[in-house]
Amino acid sequence: MRILKSGRISLGCNFACIHCQNWEISQQFADGTVCGEREIAALVDEARRRGCRNQNWVGGDPIPHIPFWLRVLLWEKEKTPVFFNTNGFYSTEASSLLRGIVDIYKIDFKYGSDTCAEKISGVRGYWKVITRNLDRAKQHGELLIRVLLLPGHLECCLRPIVSFISDELGPETRVNLMDQYTPHWRADELPELRRRLKPDEWERAIRIALESGLKNIIT
Amino acid sequence: MWRLWRADAVRALEDPKVVSSLPRYVGILKGKFLPRFVISRHVPAEWGPESSEEELWIIHNAALMKMDALTRDLDSGIIHPDELGNPPEKSLLHLKARIGECIMRSCRLCERRCGTDRLKGELGFCRVGTEFRVHSCFDHLGEEPEVVPSFTVCGF
Repeated sequence: MRILKSGRISLGCNFACIHCQNWEISQQFADGTVCGEREIAALVDEARRRGCRNQNWVGGDPIPHIPFWLRVLLWEKEKTPVFFNTNGFYSTEASSLLRGIVDIYKIDFKYGSDTCAEKISGVRGYWKVITRNLDRAKQHGELLIRVLLLPGHLECCLRPIVSFISDELGPETRVNLMDQYTPHWRADELPELRRRLKPDEWERAIRIALESGLKNIIT
Repeated sequence: MWRLWRADAVRALEDPKVVSSLPRYVGILKGKFLPRFVISRHVPAEWGPESSEEELWIIHNAALMKMDALTRDLDSGIIHPDELGNPPEKSLLHLKARIGECIMRSCRLCERRCGTDRLKGELGFCRVGTEFRVHSCFDHLGEEPEVVPSFTVCGF
């Protein structure tokens, strides 16, 4: 992890979430270990042989690492499904490269409005990009969506998120509703993000998700 | 050992809600289907050292169509995996890796599209260069039941 002059953390991510939970990841690998693609391929193969079900590409976000992963795959010998664990803010070019490679697109659907996305994660034009990539992920592979519930963002974010999933991707879409938000990093800069989710908000969130018609929710 | 911690994960591949939403993934784990990247290695793709990125994309998209057809035939059992034989020297996967290199010259992988020339040593918003820097690799037990144990590689 490197803390940049701007106060932004860099963990190889294209987002700059003010509640990033990875900012406190152990300093001991502060600069990371530079790995060769054959080395990673061998580790993935070993993992599959000992019973791991998939290779989980994480970052930061795995988007900037796609070129490395493509080379890793050239060396893998086992048949290990690819689990692409992303915030979903990738380009159409990246989407084409991922097509025919990724088995499960695990996409975090974080915001229901561009305003919230810009305020909390520092990205512009979020809704158009995330919905385009969710549509494509469904066409190109299988889809698992995670929704981390943010306190105070049930109406502006959760409601449009679950409506989109149910109406456009289908009520059978598998959605993991997550209540474990904890303020990290610079979360205290936004008043509503200074606390965890309240029990009544959690109940309301489940109600909103069910009202949208979703039938395959993990809670 | 993970079976003790995540008894739900042991049963997950039989859970109707998992099977209905991730049928191909469950099938891969049961040896019924091949992961997509394995199939992509069996789709031939030819390009030259001088091919431009635009030309590479045209070849890529044509190869993808062939891959879709091959995937359908493999999944429906019309072709058996043993019939695939040895993969070609240059495949769709190799081509994807080649295009991945090209894109780093003016990076447009994420939707910020910052156009950084990573091959020249420039760093964009994400500050990922040309090396694969790995923060940690571990068997993740904290994901959804059908996903664990999941070999997780955190690049940054």
